[in-house]
Amino acid sequence: MTDTLDDHFGQLMQAAQTGDGDAYIQLLDELTPRLRQIVRNQRRFLEANDIEDLVQDVLLSIHAVRATYDPERPFMPWLLAITRNRLADSARRYVRGSAHEVHVENLSVTFPDTRPNTTMDAYGDPDALKQAIAALPRMQRDAIEMLKLREMSLKEAADACNTTVGALKVATHRAMATLRKMLVKKR
Amino acid sequence: MTRDTEQLIRQLANSAHPVRRLAQPYVRAAIWLAISVSYLAVIVAAIPARHDLSSKLSEPLFVIEQTAALATGIAAAIAAFATVIPAHNRKWILLPLLPLAIWLGSLGPGCLQELNHFGWQALPLDHSLWCVPIIVLVGAVPAVAMVVMLRRGAPLTPQLTAALGGLAAAGLGNVGVRIIHPEDVTVMLLFWHIGAVMALSAFAGSMGHHFLNWGSTVRASENTAR
Repeated sequence: MTDTLDDHFGQLMQAAQTGDGDAYIQLLDELTPRLRQIVRNQRRFLEANDIEDLVQDVLLSIHAVRATYDPERPFMPWLLAITRNRLADSARRYVRGSAHEVHVENLSVTFPDTRPNTTMDAYGDPDALKQAIAALPRMQRDAIEMLKLREMSLKEAADACNTTVGALKVATHRAMATLRKMLVKKR
Repeated sequence: MTRDTEQLIRQLANSAHPVRRLAQPYVRAAIWLAISVSYLAVIVAAIPARHDLSSKLSEPLFVIEQTAALATGIAAAIAAFATVIPAHNRKWILLPLLPLAIWLGSLGPGCLQELNHFGWQALPLDHSLWCVPIIVLVGAVPAVAMVVMLRRGAPLTPQLTAALGGLAAAGLGNVGVRIIHPEDVTVMLLFWHIGAVMALSAFAGSMGHHFLNWGSTVRASENTAR
């Protein structure tokens, strides 16, 4: 950072302290990309929105303590002291906040042990399942094949069967109930 | 520049009324001292000074002790005000160490004399606890004035700033107590008076982040702008 630039910022801040709004806008406009760069370098892991939040925090802090700037002293150390302090402050707040949080990573809906699970995602005997589906009435069989095996949408399946969505839902429900009974009997 | 940040800059510029630049730390410490000494004078006028004050003022050790305690308070105030100026020289923080060492050292000869006279076993341990509330009473207005003045600066090191501010107020409070309270057992002075000053300073330090933080500083500036 050159002394000329430091003097330039210092003069703008000095004018801002006297209430010169134009000088203040110019100062903050010129400082913002530099602050953004500093924050990005210090916090590489942050996303753009979080970096922008920190930049805004620094801008608010500069505004709040602009009376502490002494034109007899260099501007950049003053600015960097505030920026570093705000970054450290945000890191402390993050640590304090995360200490009270419990991170949950896609916990299973049911217990991993099979005993408490009353229903199972996959049937253990595929041949028996195929035979049971083949034994279903035609409407119910079509509903299961299209919705569960070919994963068609209700609308697509209803069009393919030349029926309504409501009728298809009823057929699917009945088919599932029939399959459950048939497969339980076979065990 | 993102739209939100651009908008924020325009808002800040619109509320950028003229601000009174913060004076140098030693100037601010002088203002604080003037407020505090005026209050101390009122307290001494309300609560009569110790009956032997005139004779005590002729004792060099007593004068050195009070001067060092006052200097500790003033130096701690300068250091506290320096810590709220971004990029200010951190060496100011060390300023109270010398007067504090002289203050402690001024009690040393008295302590040794008492130890030689009574021995460890017979050392007088009783002490009037009146000194602690008097330190708090005498230090109250200086402490409040200190907090108000510190909040005009940047809360860069809240704990350290508050601890130094607490040391300044309690140090001055101790001077008030020594003028009012006739207690000269130096081992007990070391324990109760300096212990109380250090405890108050540590307490202030532990509470520092409650009254010196960026959240309240930014909110205060927003309220002033409205």
